[in-house]
Amino acid sequence: METFERASLYACNAKGAGVLKLLLPLVLLVLALGATIVSDRPLPPAELTIINRAEVTTLDVSQITWMQDIRVAKCLYEGLVRNDVLSPDFAIKPAAAERWEVSSDGLRYTFHLRETRWSDGSVVLASDFLYSWMRSLLPDSATDYSGFLMHIRGGRDYFQWRERALADFARSLRERGLSEDSAAAEALWTETKRRFTEMVGVRSPNQRTIEIELERPLPYFLEMLGFITFSPVREQVVRRYEIVDAASGRVKWDQSWTKPPRLVTNGPMMVDQWRFRREMRLVRNPHYWDPAAIGVESISIPVIDDQVSQVLAFETGSVDWVSDVTAPFRGEIVERKRQFHREHADEVNRLRAMGLGPVEIDRRLPADPRRNVQVLPSFGTYFWNLNCAPRLPDGRANPMADPRVRRALAMAVDKEAIATGVRRVGEAIAPTLIPPGSIAGYRSPKGLGFDPEAARRLLAEAGYPGGEGFMTLDLLVNKDGGHELIAQAIAKDWKRHLNIETTISVQEIKVFRDRLRTKNFVTSRGSWFGDYGDPTTFLDLNRSGDGNNDRAFASPRFDAVLDRAAEETDPARRMELLTEAERLIVEEELPLIPIFHYVNIYLFDPSRLDGVSTHPRSEQHLYRMRRLTPTP
Amino acid sequence: MISLIARRLLQLPVILLVIYTLTLALAWKVPGNPLENPEGRRPAPEVIAAMKAQYNLDSFTNFYVSYLDSASGFKFLRETVTGERARRAAEAEAAGRFAPPSSVFDLGPSLQYRDRRVNEIIAEALPVSMVLGLAAILIALVIGVGAGVAGAMRPNSWLDLATLAVALVGISLPTFVIGTVLLLVFPVLLGWGSIPGWGGLGSVLLPALTLSLPFAAYIARLTRMGMIEQLQADYIRTARAKGVTEMRVLLVHALKNAFLPVLSYLGPATAMAMTGSFVVERVFVVPGLGQHFVNAVQNKDLFLIIGVVLIFATLLVLFNLAVDVLSRWIDPRIE
Repeated sequence: METFERASLYACNAKGAGVLKLLLPLVLLVLALGATIVSDRPLPPAELTIINRAEVTTLDVSQITWMQDIRVAKCLYEGLVRNDVLSPDFAIKPAAAERWEVSSDGLRYTFHLRETRWSDGSVVLASDFLYSWMRSLLPDSATDYSGFLMHIRGGRDYFQWRERALADFARSLRERGLSEDSAAAEALWTETKRRFTEMVGVRSPNQRTIEIELERPLPYFLEMLGFITFSPVREQVVRRYEIVDAASGRVKWDQSWTKPPRLVTNGPMMVDQWRFRREMRLVRNPHYWDPAAIGVESISIPVIDDQVSQVLAFETGSVDWVSDVTAPFRGEIVERKRQFHREHADEVNRLRAMGLGPVEIDRRLPADPRRNVQVLPSFGTYFWNLNCAPRLPDGRANPMADPRVRRALAMAVDKEAIATGVRRVGEAIAPTLIPPGSIAGYRSPKGLGFDPEAARRLLAEAGYPGGEGFMTLDLLVNKDGGHELIAQAIAKDWKRHLNIETTISVQEIKVFRDRLRTKNFVTSRGSWFGDYGDPTTFLDLNRSGDGNNDRAFASPRFDAVLDRAAEETDPARRMELLTEAERLIVEEELPLIPIFHYVNIYLFDPSRLDGVSTHPRSEQHLYRMRRLTPTP
Repeated sequence: MISLIARRLLQLPVILLVIYTLTLALAWKVPGNPLENPEGRRPAPEVIAAMKAQYNLDSFTNFYVSYLDSASGFKFLRETVTGERARRAAEAEAAGRFAPPSSVFDLGPSLQYRDRRVNEIIAEALPVSMVLGLAAILIALVIGVGAGVAGAMRPNSWLDLATLAVALVGISLPTFVIGTVLLLVFPVLLGWGSIPGWGGLGSVLLPALTLSLPFAAYIARLTRMGMIEQLQADYIRTARAKGVTEMRVLLVHALKNAFLPVLSYLGPATAMAMTGSFVVERVFVVPGLGQHFVNAVQNKDLFLIIGVVLIFATLLVLFNLAVDVLSRWIDPRIE
């Protein structure tokens, strides 16, 4: 009774007030929300809008490892040399250095800098390069590419010296019962900078000259110098962000220096805005030394992770170029393009006979949405790892330690069926590890073909006639990316042609990588993308004991050929030796089975966009892209 | 009321500490090296060891203590009180450097986005997620309460069954299907709105609508149940007997009481809508917080995992508190 009275009283008396109490917070919320949404307007469109795979993780040259970071950083930083991505041979061209000399023994390089400027107008100095290289060579900020600097004389010693010095610093603090010592940390940092000039083979006799001395001759050193890790940073700016940690002696950098307006760069473009996971906006660097090379005033790079939304964004016309289309229906997209070419077969053949490139050909075909798809070769190869260790992780003797078994496994895989039936994006099957035609002056070996008959013979020779007595092979793949389907195709081939039983294990990518590193697998998928234009960028991963040699492959014969090549001063003879080295891998030893060479699938309208590189090195310099006015 | 707020706020640090410990323990156990890229070059062992040492990844205890120290604000407080921070700033200036940045609650660097600190990432993403989440909750309220009231007016009529059916679809259909269909229909086929394009009213509408549907469905069912119950109450009969119009009975008298269960659902729902929209953010290219929940775990980005989990926990506690305060304000009967 009591409740009823109170409730009804309340209901009748507070009619208005009750509803108002409900509505008031709502109205306030709507107003605040509206104001926020309306005040957050997108930027006006840039001259060129592109989708770059994923959000840039860092613009610090010492930290960069991801493809999307490299692509942007190539617009922002100018190293001593750079590749001309639009030239047919991907030639090395002078960049911040206008010329250079190499000593006759190939050990000493002297670079003469041209007068170029940072985006803040100051002159690029030799010491800016040295400071940047020192940063990349410190264990304090070590990353995947620190190893590149270790080709310079004393580079590795310096890295190890600093590691020891940091350990000593920590020990000394412990012994003295201190938690930190800022004076000692500062002194160590000063010593570290001094040691760099003393220990490492780089000098700048003046601010326009850089001398580099190598550990041993490196015929592809210029190619390597074009890599992003060798770019300079403006010392006067970046050094101000140093943080010397009094507790560990380590030097960190407050990474706010990589964000506009603080970021100072010396490349063709500079960063105007960087809104995390929304958009990066690049604009022309007014101080760049070669303004004619820049094709666009501004580039907008919105972040679109979703593979389907990337394609939809292109279709609504708000994006001019999509790199690396990975949408699940990309096979269909590529097939439609092929159909389009079939419809215009005569014209395509005529243009191809004229020696035109793929984009040029499409530009001359009638306008059609299917024309906007480009399938271009990439500098990477998909392969299948075979564990070569004498014993398997579980302790059993490893039949794959016998190269005949590995050759048999390789020859029983129908790569064509995988490329056309599983992948369906026009990838070329790979008899070799190095994508053919990607490195000027290098001749690829022939490799092994698909030959089940020969494979069965080899397996019998190795003591497993008809697959009898052979163990069950496990095929390890990581989740996503369609690797499981490829594993199924290979498993089917091994069963059908060699009568070998298989299992397939699927793991998360991090677990997968871990099992590869610890050699805890029997067979697995693998892939490799080259970093610089020399066969060793692919061949080195088969060296005994190399950090990327997941297969535990150790062949003194192969290592010896690589060593001989490293000492060979005649470039043509050296390339022959490297061909021999690759022949050993893909025809005799087969620690891995090359399956196919990757392609890049780009979306862009060829009548509106120019400057996309079609070279198999598949590096794009965004600033060289330019808009075309379509001819009606 | 004040004691309620004080009690809840005092509980918050304890809750966060427990969540931090559990999250770190679980995330630490996830196999794989957070600093290793999924593809490509693997650095020399000495480089890997140096990289791990940079982030305290070589020792669980060191990581646990140092993170707790800086994230709790204790380090900031200690260094301010002892004058450590001022001294360091002076030293840096003497050496020609900027004073090291310091925030009260320092959630550490991101291992994946090496140029960002977790604080920065959350500061950029949280407002976006809040806007999207609140907009979604508002839409869900309008749709849900509307459908619930309409259904309750004539239970088991065709209108009621239709709203129930729509609610069922809203709960069952995954958001990536709804989202992709909306994208295909509006920006691609009709040319309304654009992808990408967070910013401006148009860009909020579609993702908010997609995100709102499961919440709307649940609110509709809550409202319907509450209304049906309230409409049978004695005070409604009294109101009708006094000649109050049906509209007024429904919207003023019954709804106000039927709304209370919806209100208590709104607390966790708002926290969820603000942080748990991974799929919607991905499909509609919204730079919000939800994606980090999934991506950070995949990348084993320890600092970011803990950061977003702590933020979610804080929001959950605060919204539940806000809802409790609001309910008491709207209905003083609640003790």
